[in-house]
Amino acid sequence: MLKLTRLFAIIAFALSAWFAGADEIEFLNGSKLDGSVIAIHKAEREVEFEAVIGGKSQAIRYPYPKIHRVVWSGKEYIVTPKPAPIATTTAQQPTSRSQTEVEKLIAEVGSTPPDWLAQTPLEFPKSLDLKWPKPPPKGWDNQKNVGQYIWDKINPNSARWKSGVKLMEHLLEVNTADSELRERIMASMGSMYFRFFQDYARAAYWWEQSEGIGDIQDAIGLAECFFRLGNKQMARAKLKSAPLSLAKVKLLGDMGETREALKIIESARMSQPHELYLTAGDICRMDGKFKDAISWYEKVLIAPNARNKEYEKRYHNRAQNSIDSIKRFELLDIGKLKDGTYSGSAMGYEGPVNIAATVVSGRVEKVEITGHKEKQYYSALADVPAQIIRKQDLSKVEATSRATITAVAVINATAEALTGTPDE
Amino acid sequence: MISPAFALQIFAFLHPGSDWKTLAAAAAIVASCVGLIAVLTKFSQRVRSSAALRLDHFLPFVRKRRFPTGPPALLVRWAHRLLPASFFFDPTTGAEGTLRRLCRKMGPTVLAAPLRRIVQALCFITFLTLFFIVCWPYNARPVADGRVSDGWSFREIDQATGELRFAPAVARASSLFAVNDSVFLATQNQDSPSLPARIVQIDKDGATLLPADPLSPESTQELLLGTGTWTFHEIEPGKWPSHYADNLASKEKLPADTFLILDPLVSISTAIASRSWVWSLISAGVILIVCILIPRGFCGYLCPLGTLIDLFDWTIGKRVKRFRVKGDGWWVHIKYYLLAATLIAAAFGVLVSGFVAAIPVITRGMLFLGDPLQSGLLRGWHLVPEFNIGQIVSILLFLAVLGLGLLRPRFWCKYVCPSGAVFSLGNLFRVTERKVESSCIQCNKCVTVCPFDAIKPDFTTRVTDCTLCQTCGGVCPSHSIKFVERWNVFDLKDENVPATGETAIGRRGFVSLAAGTAAAVAGGAGIATATRVFGANLDNPKSPRPVRPPGSVPEENFLQMCIRCGECFKACPNNVLQPLGFEQGLQGLWTPAVNADWAGCESSCNACGQVCPTGAILPLPLEVKKEVRMGLAIVNETTCLPYAGREACQLCVDECDAAGYHAIEFTRVGTEVDNAGAPVEGTGYLAPVVLPDKCVGCGLCQTRCSGINADQKRLLTKSAIIIEAGDGREDRFTQSGYEHWKKNRFPPDVRQPESPSEPNVNSAAPDVSGSDDPFGDI
Repeated sequence: MLKLTRLFAIIAFALSAWFAGADEIEFLNGSKLDGSVIAIHKAEREVEFEAVIGGKSQAIRYPYPKIHRVVWSGKEYIVTPKPAPIATTTAQQPTSRSQTEVEKLIAEVGSTPPDWLAQTPLEFPKSLDLKWPKPPPKGWDNQKNVGQYIWDKINPNSARWKSGVKLMEHLLEVNTADSELRERIMASMGSMYFRFFQDYARAAYWWEQSEGIGDIQDAIGLAECFFRLGNKQMARAKLKSAPLSLAKVKLLGDMGETREALKIIESARMSQPHELYLTAGDICRMDGKFKDAISWYEKVLIAPNARNKEYEKRYHNRAQNSIDSIKRFELLDIGKLKDGTYSGSAMGYEGPVNIAATVVSGRVEKVEITGHKEKQYYSALADVPAQIIRKQDLSKVEATSRATITAVAVINATAEALTGTPDE
Repeated sequence: MISPAFALQIFAFLHPGSDWKTLAAAAAIVASCVGLIAVLTKFSQRVRSSAALRLDHFLPFVRKRRFPTGPPALLVRWAHRLLPASFFFDPTTGAEGTLRRLCRKMGPTVLAAPLRRIVQALCFITFLTLFFIVCWPYNARPVADGRVSDGWSFREIDQATGELRFAPAVARASSLFAVNDSVFLATQNQDSPSLPARIVQIDKDGATLLPADPLSPESTQELLLGTGTWTFHEIEPGKWPSHYADNLASKEKLPADTFLILDPLVSISTAIASRSWVWSLISAGVILIVCILIPRGFCGYLCPLGTLIDLFDWTIGKRVKRFRVKGDGWWVHIKYYLLAATLIAAAFGVLVSGFVAAIPVITRGMLFLGDPLQSGLLRGWHLVPEFNIGQIVSILLFLAVLGLGLLRPRFWCKYVCPSGAVFSLGNLFRVTERKVESSCIQCNKCVTVCPFDAIKPDFTTRVTDCTLCQTCGGVCPSHSIKFVERWNVFDLKDENVPATGETAIGRRGFVSLAAGTAAAVAGGAGIATATRVFGANLDNPKSPRPVRPPGSVPEENFLQMCIRCGECFKACPNNVLQPLGFEQGLQGLWTPAVNADWAGCESSCNACGQVCPTGAILPLPLEVKKEVRMGLAIVNETTCLPYAGREACQLCVDECDAAGYHAIEFTRVGTEVDNAGAPVEGTGYLAPVVLPDKCVGCGLCQTRCSGINADQKRLLTKSAIIIEAGDGREDRFTQSGYEHWKKNRFPPDVRQPESPSEPNVNSAAPDVSGSDDPFGDI
């Protein structure tokens, strides 16, 4: 009887293969192929599927996690369930999700490695101490101490970001025993997904795995992940316990909790309040409260003892730029601008950010960063110009997460440019 | 005479690598030359005087026929039939026609041999065009980014047609693209190549695209498995820019180095010095064969230096008489001794012929005098690099060459030019020559008018000097001069009447010959020794190693092959290449070296190799050139601003990224550490680290650092990142070495097209027993 079933199955398979195109495969992105299943590689978790596309036959092995379902020999198998649609870009208003949805997203998407990770080569100096002792041994050595290697070599080079995640994955593979170390690695992994790729689901997953071993930045980062994934309550709950920090205030501002953010800033007692005041100004400005913003920025100009002269100059520049550009916003009507290219400049984190904006028939068609000294947070340099072009209104542009200073500099520079005269 | 325009057109095919084409072109030029002689032979109206070959082209038919015997020749009859009668002399009154009157207005030499002056002018204009227009890179413009439409998500694939269906992220009212536009499909992943496709249908709800080629398995996977959005690009994204290379290629209807490869001394001496095959020997061979048919015709017709000297003599030389020399002195044979000396030096492996060979001399003259003028006037004087001692020496030498015209017209060409000497020696094998018939009335007009001092007092020919310019034929009142085959003896004038006073070789002649030869041998060997001793000194590792243009052969060979013509400097955008002075002694004088403080090598340019006449710089295609290392950027960690803890600076990194090499990355330096050993946010600087496997030594980083940090901000005395050449830092290979390197570096595409495999039931049958779910543990 058993033999008969098996024979029957083989005949059925042979028949199905004979009528090529009888099988169907549907992928997670919704696309489908008609063709025939050639083989199922259980060990590798891959389906080999042949299809004729535009007259050319292709047999390709597809991994399970990319396949939604397969119709094989007339029977349907769900291989990977479809996740809820994910919005990961920072610029768009996050869609709202319930706590269960967010948790499901983190569990389903956050736990899977991204597409590129398999192809990313593992590269790190041989001298690196994979035990990653904490605290690191005395003396800075970025070829030996993992944390210092990340700090010196991975963080500054976007070309190394993927291999940084790969290195963390490798560290998890080699360090199986030390749970404290594993949590630190996971926290670092979360931080990388967050800082490098704005991949909030994976960042949240790894930060949650790390059992809160990370620092305040990590905790606030996790709160921001919840917010970006669409649940403010979770973010607020996470933030409540966090001590006062600039990151916390900025996130509250980003979340639109202007009142609470300002309350915290007002009650804070700091010897060097410049950055806090600047943040308050930025938050008010983002909320459209320009008068309040100006008064905060003016406080920066009279606040005492910055860390040093260089820093004081930077703070003053930023405050003054913001005041100027707010005053300009009220005068600015993009629709009435003459065609041409306008250039402007404003103080960023490290130095001036220069932009050139092209106006064609009353629309800003292009905003190009022509020069800057920013070391990190490059995302603002691409994101803000895109927002300006999309919204055609400088006062509605939102600062890019964790790159507020650079973002504001780009906005200020654009404001300066557009209120000036076009270049020759 | 060969029509130069046609000959040059054929030379356009002469290009290294395409051997059969080169040979075919060479054969075609020789054949056309023979054909031309055949036509000219037929052309003559002087049927009275028989000749097997005849090259007379001084338009005797527009002159009144003195001895009208027999019917005119075929071409003359045609000319009379096709052209207005007013062009020709009036047979009844004997009055001159308009053609001849026009020529008379333009001067006696034009009147005598108009065709020669026309050919000279054409060649000179061609030379100037090639130099000042073809080798002028500044009208190259980078391709604009083109239209870009992003946010398209892949929906489905139409398996029957292979069409791809995309949906926009947000419905758009208008589209940047229209049906039938060609676009490139790209994902966010910059590593994967973009997919060329044509838009079949597009509206606010979506777009259907047909890929240009059948989908590769990689593309299929990218489409089906990817979750990100796609972008439509008008211009292929991430494509390596090629505007400078394209600009030169589009203008180079003739090779930019046409005249340089025609100068036989250039290729012969290079081949001797480097002991290797130089492909321009083919063109040298062709021009020598042509010059057997038209002895020394190069000098009389083609050579742009000769034409320039003619212009100098006409404008200045004839007004300044005080330096004129009389008679023939010791100098009349300098050219042979110079030729011998340069060839002997070449035999010792030292290439000095470029200092005195005709075309390199005028090319360098145009470069050091004309190019700064062109650059200054058209682009701005601040873009003209300062002159070094080497350039001044070259300018003085060039002025001296022209200045020789004050001694006697065309003094350089007649007595000094070693390239001319090659042709003079080639004249020993001539098949045609100038002959004088017995009708000569000994009026001496031909001796006076001859620009090459090639007519003896008895009106016969100094055959090694005659360029067959035929000016004498045009002025001869008795039509006694003919240009015919060498062995023609029809009705010749008696030799030595009047007596010339010249002997084959007299005592003084012998002494001067002996002395000259000795001087040539000693000079050649001496120059070779001197340049070696006070030269590049390559065995010493501490000797200066200039950064050479990309594709330069190994330094030893380079010094033997570089003819110092200066063509590469002219074609180089922004004067990255500048001539060395005496840093490498005489051996390196005027050789091209990268001055990265001035400018960096453009990533989209490969001009220097394309215009090099000797192959000292190999003509690399752009996709190879962008990988060939000229040197390596080395950061000076004591002066570099972030390393020194002075201020944030990332000029070199930005420059390198913008050029597409991504060969400099960051490292953080000077981070402060808190008590717990954790780094303090905001402390320290990001400093540049050069990745040696990616750096090609283009020098853009050095230019930027030098220009901003040193020149503009005065923070440094010189760039903190410097390109250095030397072992292990540059890719230098000979032609054969290059072929080998290319094969290893760019293996031929071994990927086979995916063959449609029949589903093999037996081997592929999934194990369906034992488990409820054939996919196993999902």
